[in-house]
This record gives sequence, C-alpha cells and structure tokens, in this order.
Amino acid sequence: MLVLALVVIAAAAPLLTSYDPAAIVVQHYAGPQAPGPGHPLGTDTLGRDVWTRIAYGARTSLSVGALAMALSLVIGVTIGVVSGYFGGLVDATLMWVVDLVLTMPTLLLLIVLSAVLPPSLLTVPLVIGLVGWTTFARTVRGEVLSLRERDYVVAARALGASHARIMWRHLLPGVIPGVVVLAALGMSGAIGIDAGLSYLGLGVPHPTPSWGRMVSEFQTYFAVAPWLVVMPGVAISLGVIGFNLVGYGLTDILGTRRS
Amino acid sequence: MRGVAGLLVALALASGCAVPLDPPPEGPAEGGGSPRAGGTFRLGFPEDPHTLDPALGYDTVSWWGEQMIFSTLVDYDDGTTIVPQLATGWELRDGGRRVAFTLRTDVRFSTGRAMTSADVQYSLERLLKPALHSPGAEFFTGIVGAEDYVAGKAPHVSGIEVPAPDRVEFALTAIDPLFLHKLTMPFTGVVDRETVERVGDQEFARHPVGTGPFAMGDWTFGQRLRFDRNPNYFRPGLPLLDHVEVTIGVSEQTAWFQYQRGDVDVAGIPSAEFARVIADPRYAPVIVRQTTLRTTYLGLNCEMAPFDRREVRQAVNLAVDKARIVDLADGRATIANGILPPDMPGFDPALQGFPHDPAAARAKLAEAGITGRIDTTFWVQRDDLPLRMAQSMQQDLRAVGIDVRLKPVDFPALIEGVRRHGIVPLFMLGWEADFPDPSNFLTVLLHSKSRGTNNNTFYSNPAVDALLDRADTLLDPPTRLRLFHEAEVQIVRDAPWVPLIYPTAVSVRHPRVRDYRLHPLRPTRLERVWLDS
Repeated sequence: MLVLALVVIAAAAPLLTSYDPAAIVVQHYAGPQAPGPGHPLGTDTLGRDVWTRIAYGARTSLSVGALAMALSLVIGVTIGVVSGYFGGLVDATLMWVVDLVLTMPTLLLLIVLSAVLPPSLLTVPLVIGLVGWTTFARTVRGEVLSLRERDYVVAARALGASHARIMWRHLLPGVIPGVVVLAALGMSGAIGIDAGLSYLGLGVPHPTPSWGRMVSEFQTYFAVAPWLVVMPGVAISLGVIGFNLVGYGLTDILGTRRS
Repeated sequence: MRGVAGLLVALALASGCAVPLDPPPEGPAEGGGSPRAGGTFRLGFPEDPHTLDPALGYDTVSWWGEQMIFSTLVDYDDGTTIVPQLATGWELRDGGRRVAFTLRTDVRFSTGRAMTSADVQYSLERLLKPALHSPGAEFFTGIVGAEDYVAGKAPHVSGIEVPAPDRVEFALTAIDPLFLHKLTMPFTGVVDRETVERVGDQEFARHPVGTGPFAMGDWTFGQRLRFDRNPNYFRPGLPLLDHVEVTIGVSEQTAWFQYQRGDVDVAGIPSAEFARVIADPRYAPVIVRQTTLRTTYLGLNCEMAPFDRREVRQAVNLAVDKARIVDLADGRATIANGILPPDMPGFDPALQGFPHDPAAARAKLAEAGITGRIDTTFWVQRDDLPLRMAQSMQQDLRAVGIDVRLKPVDFPALIEGVRRHGIVPLFMLGWEADFPDPSNFLTVLLHSKSRGTNNNTFYSNPAVDALLDRADTLLDPPTRLRLFHEAEVQIVRDAPWVPLIYPTAVSVRHPRVRDYRLHPLRPTRLERVWLDS
C-alpha cells in the first residue's frame, strides 16, 4: 500500500501540484511559510512549495533507489551465480573480492566516490549500486551451491549443455525468489542511503528535490518551521518502511528464508 | 496501518506549531550608569583562532585575538579615520616618501618591559623575514631596503630608521597613499622580542606577548581560550574587563542557545531565527548592527565562453533579481549596484547599476548572437546562505535561457579553483576591505595585474588599468577618488561582476554588556566594553 502510494505520487507528481519543484513561488520571501491554503505543506527557505518538492522528491528517491538496486542486482547475481557454479579457485577469488568490498567502510567509500565522480542524477545510484551488490552475491552463491547439486542440473551437464546455458536456464530461475525479496529490501536500503548521502550534502545536484537534503538543509529551522524537517523525514521513513514490508510480505508469499 | 495513520496525524499536528521564541537573557535595565571595571566577558567560537602571531594571522578570528594582545603604531577610530595608537603623531616628508612617527614613551609590554622604537623595528623586520612566510609581508616590500633584507643581503631594512627610542622613520621607494592604512593592520603589531627569542617563532603563536589591552591567559587548544587584563596597558583605566573567556567548539547555533540561556555575552543570530528576532520587541534593545566594507558578488570568468563577451555578462547582470537575494539574506544587506561598498570613500550612491529586467537580458543575449540555451557551471560555497542565493540565481538565469549546474564546494576549494585559468565559469564570493581605500577593491580585484591572485574573473581592460595605475600613486584624495570612480563606472559597464549585496553585520548582546560596537572594517575591540550588574 505504502509503496503503491509512493509510486503513484512519483508518477503523478505533475498532476498533484501546479508548481514546478524548482520554481520560487513566493513573491517576497520573508522566511518559510506555514502550511496553509495554496501551500498544503508550506514553503521552504527559498520560497518553494514543500508539497511539490516532496512529491517530486518521491521521483528522485524511487528512481535513485531502483537504479541503484538494479545495478547491485545485476552485479551481485552475476557474481553470485558464477561463483557458486564454478566453485574452486573462481569462487575463492570472487568471494575474496566480496569480502574486500565488505571490509571497506561503506559510508566512507560512498563519500569518496561521490566526491570524485561529477555530480549528476546518475552518480548517486551508481555509487550506491557499486557498493551494495555484495549481499546479492553472497546470498545467490549460497543458493547456487545447493542448486548445482540437484539432479536436473547434473542431468543438464551430462547432456553437454554449456556453462552459460546451465547458469542462465537452470540456475538463475532457481535463485529468483530469494533475489526478489532482497531487491525489495535493497530498495529500502538504497532509499535510506540516498537520504543519508543527500543529508551529507553529496546527493543529487541542485535544484533536484531530495528528501534527505531537505532534512539536512532545514534542520536549523526546526524550532521555527518544523514542517520543513518533519515532512521529508516522514517521507523517508514511509519509503524505507514500505519497501521493507514488501520484502517481508514477499518472503512469506514465496516461502523463502529470511536472511 | 492504523498505527501509521495515527503517527502521521500526530506528526502533522506537531509540525504545524513552531516553538515560540525564547526572550533574550535577563539583565540590568538599559541606559544610564558610568563605566564600571571588572567581570568576565564570555564568548563561544566554533574553532580556535588559526594563530595569535600577528605576523601570521590573516583571518577575522585571528585578527580579533591579535587586536586583544597587540597594538600598532596607528589605528582606526570607530569609523575609518586613522588615529594614533602607539604613535603620538606622524609627519610626511619628501612629498610622502618618508613617514616619521613619534612614539608614546609610556608603553610597556604585558611582561612589564618598556617598549621602544627598536621593538617596532624588530617586529617589522620579523614580519619580512622570509622564513616566517608572513601573508602580510607583501604590504611592506615598498620600504627602502626591504628587498635586500628579504634576499639576505642586509642584516636590517635600511628604510626603517630608529633615530631615538621614541622615533621611527620609514623611507619608501615610491609614494604610497596606503602606507598608513597598512600600518593599521594587525600584521604590524609590536611583539615582545624577549618572548619571541625565548620560545621561538613557532611557539610564539601560542604564547603571544604584546602591548595590547589584554594578555594571553590560558589556551587549551580545542577547549578554551582566556585573555586577562593587561595591568601594564598604556591607556589608564583600560581595559575595563578583567577577563575574556572564549569557549571553543561552539557552533553558531549552539552559541545562540547559550546566549538565550545567558551563558555567552555576544552571539550571531542564526538565519532560521533572524526574522522572528528582528520582529520581536524584546530583542530590539540588544541588537547591534553595523554596515561593513564588504561586497558579495557573482563573478563571471571573462576568459571562458560565453562570458568572454560583454553582452552576455550584461545579460547575466540584468537577469539576477537582487531584491530576492536581499530577502534571502533576511534583509541583512542592501542591494549592490557597484563594486565599492557604502562606507568606502569614493562610494557613489547614484551609481547606475543594472536593473532586474529579464526581457532586456534576453534581448542582450540575442544581441550577442546567442540562439540556443547556455549551459554552464556555478561554483558556490557549501553553506546555507550561499547555496540558497545560488539557487535563487539559478532560477533567474534559467528564465533567460542560461542553465546553471551548481557545484557546491568547501571554501578552500573555491578559492583554489577560481585562481586557475579556465576552470570556474561562474562563482560567488565576497570581499572585505583590508583598508578603506577604493584600490583595495578595484586594483586588488579587477586590475589585470591581479589575475592569478584576487582578480578571479580574469577581467582585463587597459583603460581601467591605466586609471588605476594613476590613482594608486597619487596622494591627493579628490583626484584619486575621481579616477577610481571613473574606473568603477567602466568596470560596472564591462560587467565582470554581478554586484549582489552589501552585507550588514548583526549581533545580539547580553543586556549587561555595555559599549559593545561592531567596526565596519576590523573585528570588534573589547577595550572599552564593560559589564553592568
């Protein structure tokens, strides 16, 4: 439900508000305006409509989350399947890489990467994706280790199927349920990390609305205009909770183990 | 789900109501009473001063501390007029090539030793010592013999003469209308040679000894800094305060809370609270304001296309809504039309700037032959107000067909970036005058010879250079100011800058604090400040 609502808000943002998210809509700025007619969630420290920025911020968060998750998924699943299927030296090497990435302090790595890469809408998902794939790799590898001993895989190998075909046709479908759950949880993680990066001033470029940045930029206004901080904070929480609930729901439906 | 809905309603309700503004701390009634000695004045700073060695500090906080401990030959009064401090008077000879000072004979260091002209000579020669790498040395290379001294060819600077213990004379290689102003800078603070030689140059920054109103008390790095009244101070009865105590690690926001609790005596007002504070009559008596010699500007790199064309730069000038920027600065500023700020000699209130006129801006771009949209990058300091101002301009420029990518960077990176050729197309910076003379803006920031240092727009106009060169060596004030004005008018027309605002400094004081004034040019002095009870 929550996720659906967010997706609808993100998709229909232009219909839900008559303002441009970057436009300064207040004629004479005299501090942030309280919620009221015309501006249901008030205006911010530049005179922009907060509701508009939260609605468009949903687009930012969802697309950053989805892109980051997709990238993690592709890298993680590929490495997981290859590693689990071949085993031996390949497995050892790839898992060593996973361990290496895992030992690096994630936040520090994120900060360094986003400082080095030029600011753009793609930088943040790229950075999150490049750091977040290890969980996928590990889980998928575990799954594949057990799948590859199954009779149908052994049979395929006996019939002379190529490695690629076995991995693509026989192993990949087997790991999908687990991956779907992880993807939902990864999405919530990515939204959270995006908010964190934006909070640290390293998120998407201005003036693209971002929930994390809203919390960060407006925190000093908490006593004066609490809605500026509370509303994006609520949005972040809902996004993270929503995808977590989806993940757990899927776990129950697909009957996969919770990791 | 019901729980979530309940939480949402609760948050919505909570977020509707702002926390009411606390009153200023309680204290004695305003007005009346004669100055009273004693007490401890308390402040909170985010960081330690960079240094307290007068030869090394070149930032507001360091200068604030150095002014406590050191004195200079001459100084400014409450405004920008030069008055004697360690000197009793001065005389220009040789048409201005020689400046002769007579010194007070009652000046002692806080250690008790009497100060003489030899100490003045020692302090200036120390400043010029290459090993010290003083950022202030460049101001004094016009003294005769300074170059030989710097090159190690002479043991002393021949142009600093000390004919008697109470006389110092400077011989200059050329007429320098700014020489007296340069001597007001804390760089020339007279240091105690005995202490420097005992602790060494390095340690002197932490154990400074001078002739100023206060002496170093205790400095626990990163925690607190205490100044004690200098009992040997040459002005009888001053300073009035016994101690000045600075707590380090206090952000602007924290200092504000501590002020409201009555734990610090002076604080800035956070942007978030500013509008409410100004509107609140309870705060009216404790607000301290001062216009400053500062201009904040949007710099356009005259070497980078399309800003190498005057029409494009003029279009940017026409596009920017400066009134909104003043609003964003909570009204703590006035609109800037020219380069020179209001308290600067030569400031022309009637100077024609560019109005906010997006249609005219588009016409200018068309005139320049620009048909498509312009795509460019704008470097801005990663702080609340600069980022808001930049986003406001981003919208203004978008409206006339200029798409601006903002690049938020830390201040050192910004300064580093703008000094290099071809890196930063647009940037926002402020400049605060070192001394109240137009050259400190026009020559330092816009003469072609300043490219690579402070002329970060790489603006170059030979006609302007010629005007500035002539003005810089003249002693006759009216002619100088006329030449500077001509140069300023031409610069505004050439539009390497969009002059944005002249900021105003605003602070609040505890009601017990008396005679606390902000200075247009220098950090606040606490010499005459006193505490009522």
